[in-house]
Amino acid sequence: MIQSLVHSLRVYLAEAWLSYHGRFAITSPFGYIASKLGFPFFLMLFFIFMGKFVGYTNPLYIVIGNVLLIPAANGLGGVTLAIRDERQWGTLSYVLGSPAPRMPIFLGRAFYYILDGFVTALLGLAIAAGIFHLDLSQVNFLLLMVCIFLVAVTSSGLGFLFGSISLVSRDGWMITTTFISALYILVGVNFPIESLPVVLQKVAYGLPLTRGILAARLALDGAGWNAISRLVAGEVLVGAIYILAGYLCFRLIEKRSMASGTLDAI
Amino acid sequence: MSRLRWGLIKRQMVVQLQVATLNLYSLGLFVIQPAVFIAVGMLLSHAAGNAMPDLVYSVVGGGIMGMWSGLVFSSTYDIAGDRYNGMLELIVGSPTSLATVEAIRTLTNVLSGLFSLSLAFITSLAIFGYSLHGVNFWGAGISLLLLLFAMWCMGVFLANFIAWSRISTWFVDYLEMPIAFLCGFMYPIRVLPGWLQILSGAIPIRWALQAMNESLLGNRDLTFLATHWAIAIGISLIFLAITRWLQVKVHDSIRLSGELSSI
Repeated sequence: MIQSLVHSLRVYLAEAWLSYHGRFAITSPFGYIASKLGFPFFLMLFFIFMGKFVGYTNPLYIVIGNVLLIPAANGLGGVTLAIRDERQWGTLSYVLGSPAPRMPIFLGRAFYYILDGFVTALLGLAIAAGIFHLDLSQVNFLLLMVCIFLVAVTSSGLGFLFGSISLVSRDGWMITTTFISALYILVGVNFPIESLPVVLQKVAYGLPLTRGILAARLALDGAGWNAISRLVAGEVLVGAIYILAGYLCFRLIEKRSMASGTLDAI
Repeated sequence: MSRLRWGLIKRQMVVQLQVATLNLYSLGLFVIQPAVFIAVGMLLSHAAGNAMPDLVYSVVGGGIMGMWSGLVFSSTYDIAGDRYNGMLELIVGSPTSLATVEAIRTLTNVLSGLFSLSLAFITSLAIFGYSLHGVNFWGAGISLLLLLFAMWCMGVFLANFIAWSRISTWFVDYLEMPIAFLCGFMYPIRVLPGWLQILSGAIPIRWALQAMNESLLGNRDLTFLATHWAIAIGISLIFLAITRWLQVKVHDSIRLSGELSSI
């Protein structure tokens, strides 16, 4: 029992290390930082000036929302790529053919992206606070960090789901990037959820991130655990559903590929 | 010779269009992504308490965003795809220069972007009831042509870097948002702080786009428009001159080192 647990942990950590190495070890520090913060930073500026032009009086809402989207985009995009690249580089067959337990392999792939997204969001928040003179005097830092970490974890559930889709569709990455774009509208990044039509509000609450971002905003305003506990619980529940759905989807695809031998041929 | 060249242009454009049409990624670049930006613009406007969004910047601007994203990513992935599929060596080794092939491809990509702009424009007319009353048509038409020219010059300029090194693909991809932000694709340039307006002056797209937006809003001031057109042409030509110089350098570099696939 203990031996099996140690083996799973070793596979998990090995996968996490490989996942990190495969994605970023070849880049320079500039490439790494630019890829993590460059695009979100300019996208945020673009939305800020769009807001300024139309008379939106709360640019800090956009700043904070876009910083909170960093771990989400990292978890979603990174995990999707980690799974998709196995097929792209022809190593998927070896992964599926190995006797290693699937759960640590699967979750190990997400570990680095969760950690990376969490750290990058904190860094982004510190930079945004410096540039936009955010008032951090009221912030409940512990709860804020919990919320950011939670967003990073729950968004990886979406990554598992889209990663599984990318195993059966060559357009998986396109579907993922389209979905990431939709997050600018749906999860309360640039404007409150209440500004959306009712149907889209319902969609928003069916996604991970929405409650996590709301909770993080409250923590930034100094709210305590009682004020955000329901939001956090909702985020955990929705995130767990997506992680489970992604894992089941992966296992289903694996099972079908074993039967048909067509996984690399799609 | 000219017949041969026209045949090459036609063939390249047909192939390029077929590749783009059959690729679902084009749908994302030219339709879905602009739609998302338009939706954000409209919802921000709604959240700000406006009854109607500004159509020229919030809707038509989304089409410009689609044109630019389409150009950046299709031009990037053309060369990256050639390199990945082992075609880049064959193109460099063929009698037709890589620069010519890239110029034609970029032209096709720029013209494909018109689909995105047209869709945004039709949306603004059909759904939001945008009135053409007072629009300076000739001004908008000339500005659009110059906008296409400016985008083409930027496209061929950036294509050099990707041929030179695969790592440049990252750098070129990152330019999508900075250029959109500096050129004011979805807001007037006056919204930017003064120093950013000066910085954006180095990009020809900014001048042609500003003239087009002002024409759509009814500006008929010939001095204003002519100045913007002249600056757009001038900076575009500077980019083109640098591109010509770079092309020779890149071509020599990849032939001498023989490392086209490994860099």
